Amino acid sequence: MSDILIDDRIRDWVFLPIIIVMFMIQMFRGLLTKYMDNKKTTQKVTSKAQVAEMIDKNITQQSQRLARLHGLLPDHSFKMKRAHLCDNKSGILTKASEKPAKDPMQSMSMMNPAAMADMLKQNLSGIVFMALQYQWVSYFFSGFVIGKVPFPLTQKFRSMLQRGVDVQNLDVRYISSISIYFVLLFGGLQKIQQLMFGDDTDEFVDDTQMQMQMQMMGMPTMPSFGQQNDPGKLFIAERTRLEGVKHTFELNKSQDKAIKSLKRFLNQ
Amino acid sequence: MEEPKVELDDLEVNQERLKLNTNQLKNLRVYGSLNAGMIAGILGMDGWIGIGIYVAIFLIVSACLAIKMNFRVKEYFKSSYDAYYSGIGTDLLLFLMIWVIFHNLVNIL
Repeated sequence: MSDILIDDRIRDWVFLPIIIVMFMIQMFRGLLTKYMDNKKTTQKVTSKAQVAEMIDKNITQQSQRLARLHGLLPDHSFKMKRAHLCDNKSGILTKASEKPAKDPMQSMSMMNPAAMADMLKQNLSGIVFMALQYQWVSYFFSGFVIGKVPFPLTQKFRSMLQRGVDVQNLDVRYISSISIYFVLLFGGLQKIQQLMFGDDTDEFVDDTQMQMQMQMMGMPTMPSFGQQNDPGKLFIAERTRLEGVKHTFELNKSQDKAIKSLKRFLNQ
Repeated sequence: MEEPKVELDDLEVNQERLKLNTNQLKNLRVYGSLNAGMIAGILGMDGWIGIGIYVAIFLIVSACLAIKMNFRVKEYFKSSYDAYYSGIGTDLLLFLMIWVIFHNLVNIL
C-alpha cells in the first residue's frame, strides 16, 4: 500500500484546529471549576439529622487525628485526650457507638440539595464538554483521513480509528479525526495544563480532608460504605485503634535523632 | 525515663517535603515524556523503536535525578523504585499523544 498524500489544507483547517480547540476547552474547564469553587458558600445546617451527622463526622475526625499525631503530645496530655474519647462510661466514642444503626432509606436523605447541586456541577463540567467536543468533531470533520499513527496496529482497531472512512483496504495506520480526539482525550491535556499553569495550591491538602472529600463524592455508591448503615461499628473500630496506640512523646527521642543525623552529616 | 535506642531507619518521613518531591518528580517526568514524544515524532520513528526512545529517555531522566541526588535516594524519596521506575506507565499515554501529533505534523501532513 503506497503512501497517501494528504492535502496541506487538512493540516491547517482540521488537525491544528482540533488540537487548539480541545486545549482551550480544557483550560476553560479549569477556570470554570476554580470559579465554582470560589462561589461555593458554606452549607447551612438545616435539620437535626444533619447536626447529628456533623457531630459524628467531627468525632471521627478528632479520633483519627489523635491516632495519627499522638507523637506530638506529651504523656499526660495524650492520656487525657484518650480517656476523654475512650473512657468506659463517659467517653465520647463509647457513647456514640451505642447509637442504633441507621435506616438505609433514611440515610438517603443525607444528600441535601446543596451536595447534589455540587455533584451536578462537577458532572456538568466533565461529561457535557466531552460529549460536546465529540459531537463537534464528528459533525464537522468526518469522512476523511487525517493522519497516520506511527505504530502498527491490528485490524481490530479499524472500526475505532477509521470511523466514517469506508475504504476497505486502507492501512489501519491512517486515522480519521475522531481518533485524534480520543488520543488527545486520553493522552492527558490535563497534565500539560498543569505544567503550564502550575497548581501550587493543591500541594498541601491535608490527608483527612482529602478523605472526607472523597467520601462526599462517593455517596452515590451506597453499598460500599458501611458507615452509612452502622456508625456504631465505625466508632468501635476507632476506639480499639486508639486504645491500641503505643504512645511515645517524640521530643524524648529528638536528642538521639539529632545526634545521629549530625554524625551522619559530619562524616561525609 | 528510659529512652529507647534510635536507629536511623526509625526516622519518620516528613510528609510535606515528600509531597513536594513527588510533585516535582511528576513534573520532571511530564517534561521527559514531552521531549521523548517530540524526538520520536520529528525523527519519524516507527513502531517499537519509538517506544524504545520513550524508555531510553525515561531512564536518562532517572539517571540525571540520581546524579542530582548524589545517589542518596533515601533522603528524598521513600525508595529507589519509587524515584526511578514507578511512573513509567502513566506517562506513556502522554508520550503517545505527543508522538502522534508531531509525527503527523512533521512527516505526513
